[in-house]
Amino acid sequence: MRLTVVAALCALLLPVVGQADDRRVVSADGAITEIIYAIGAQDQLVAVDTTSRYPASVADLPRVGYLRALPFEGVLALDPDVLITTEEAAPDETLERLARAGVSVRQLPVARTPEATVGRVRAVGDVMGRAAAAERLATELEHQVASVVAKRSEAPAPRVLFLLAAGPRGVMIAGDNTAAQAMLETLGAENAVTGIQGYKPAGREALLASRPDAIVIAETRPGQFDIDDWPELAALPAWQQGHHVTSDSMLLLGFGPRLADALATIVRALPAGEQVSQHGS
Amino acid sequence: MVRDEAGRLAPGIALAGIATAALAVAWLSVTSGAYPLSLSDILSVIVRPAEADHVARMVLVDVRLPRFLLGFLVGAVLAVSGAILQGLFRNPLADPGLIGVSAGASLAAIGVIVLGGTWLGRWVAFAGEWALPIAAFIGGSGTVFLAWRIARRAGETSVATLLLAGIAINAIAGAGTGLLTFYSSDEELRSLTFWTMGSLGHASWDDLMVAGPWLVLALVASPFLARPLDAFLLGEQVVGHLGYRTDWIKRAAILVAGLGVGAAVAVSGLIGFVGLVVPHLVRQVLGASHRTLLPLSALLGGTLLVGADCLARVIVAPAELPIGLMMSLIGGPFFLALLLKRRII
Repeated sequence: MRLTVVAALCALLLPVVGQADDRRVVSADGAITEIIYAIGAQDQLVAVDTTSRYPASVADLPRVGYLRALPFEGVLALDPDVLITTEEAAPDETLERLARAGVSVRQLPVARTPEATVGRVRAVGDVMGRAAAAERLATELEHQVASVVAKRSEAPAPRVLFLLAAGPRGVMIAGDNTAAQAMLETLGAENAVTGIQGYKPAGREALLASRPDAIVIAETRPGQFDIDDWPELAALPAWQQGHHVTSDSMLLLGFGPRLADALATIVRALPAGEQVSQHGS
Repeated sequence: MVRDEAGRLAPGIALAGIATAALAVAWLSVTSGAYPLSLSDILSVIVRPAEADHVARMVLVDVRLPRFLLGFLVGAVLAVSGAILQGLFRNPLADPGLIGVSAGASLAAIGVIVLGGTWLGRWVAFAGEWALPIAAFIGGSGTVFLAWRIARRAGETSVATLLLAGIAINAIAGAGTGLLTFYSSDEELRSLTFWTMGSLGHASWDDLMVAGPWLVLALVASPFLARPLDAFLLGEQVVGHLGYRTDWIKRAAILVAGLGVGAAVAVSGLIGFVGLVVPHLVRQVLGASHRTLLPLSALLGGTLLVGADCLARVIVAPAELPIGLMMSLIGGPFFLALLLKRRII
């Protein structure tokens, strides 16, 4: 009993007196987890959520479930000093109870632009006590993104069909108010499909009617998309001319430290961009 | 005399058995969970709450205790409602889902999740955090009332029409839910998926304040239906001959089941199988008399749900499985085994 009290007191005092690097951190967001690894603060991580899938070594950490359904006891049992997540985290009761139990709950804004992503990198750096490393990453990211976007600015806006693939029957068209749309806007490209909110199941005729200049496919897991299941897509001129790319959804839609990679991946599929030969999935 | 000629247990013995199990899961529910609490932590919270570690007190008093109470009440009400409806319809397949309670409640709840920012914005602004449970409660009891009105002709309630109306209302509510799902955003989709899988994970004293009175009311009212429901087993005419007002009995049964399940669904989402399996189990052991069936179903339903919840919270720790999922995972195969072994239907 006495030991528990002492341990609890220590946990409460650590953020004040202890080294920042000794803190125990739970990260509940894929992009935030990526940033934590990118700034070399992963030693502080004690658990992640189910959206954290990159880099591969996060698989060794315990999972606290999905960031919109965080379990109070599950998170508390890991004895964390900090829970770092986004404003999407839920339920509010869990977050509020965790705060009352002495966990520092840090909710960062949702990032859907390069500026917000860079801001998020700095914010994670502050929370993790790695401001210098975060600043280096932020500057580098700003620079990389700017150089990718610069290549696009003079070209006319291509119309891009953005698909999210979660299995052969689970291919969805990305519409307005999605991270996919935000990626296209960043590159000065247009969404080939208008009038859809969020991700909606793809109709085969709608795919044909969209007549895109390029096709981007974000897979929730590698191999989720097979072009053989979608002859309509293969029939589109954009596909036949090789203006398409298939990549991981966490890379393409994550707005994390790999944002420049993600943008470059899409740019390579665009007709007026750098022509790099792509082979289907 | 432990067993009678038909091989059934004496009610007293069964009661003692289930009560012991109930106490065991109560203890398990308060002591198990992802957060490690030693026996001395728990005892110090009970004996000297003022001096106990405040995190331990929070885990016990604000999280596990309301979770146990809510789980027990919800399980009890679902099982009792199942028993009442099976008696009323004289149909062993009847469960609270059948007369549209669950479908109506989930349509209303999902409506709040998806349309809370647009069409139902005023309702959400007015009801605040209670918007979802209250809407689910209104949706659940509203659909039951609708089914009952449809089944009522010339002062008589036709049980067969009620059943068919329930099925039709289920289909319509299901389509409405599907439509809302289609128009939902990614985030809404995730939160409504979790809602339909049922959860006790966010149970709080506030939930108990809102749903508790209705749940307790349904449990307290149910024994008054026992004798008339026994008469129903012999056929609807017999009920009248025995001096009961048939239509009042039907109304009361529908009201108890509708309000109880509506309140249960409102705070815990959709939890299946308890209402179907538990009354069957009790009938197996004690026979079909509602005087023993109803109270023992309540005890066993609560015990089973709390037991399943204990498993749900440790099996994938630090995450938690949804309790509705857990219940169906356990209940489905168990029910099948029972079916194959004893041919109970």
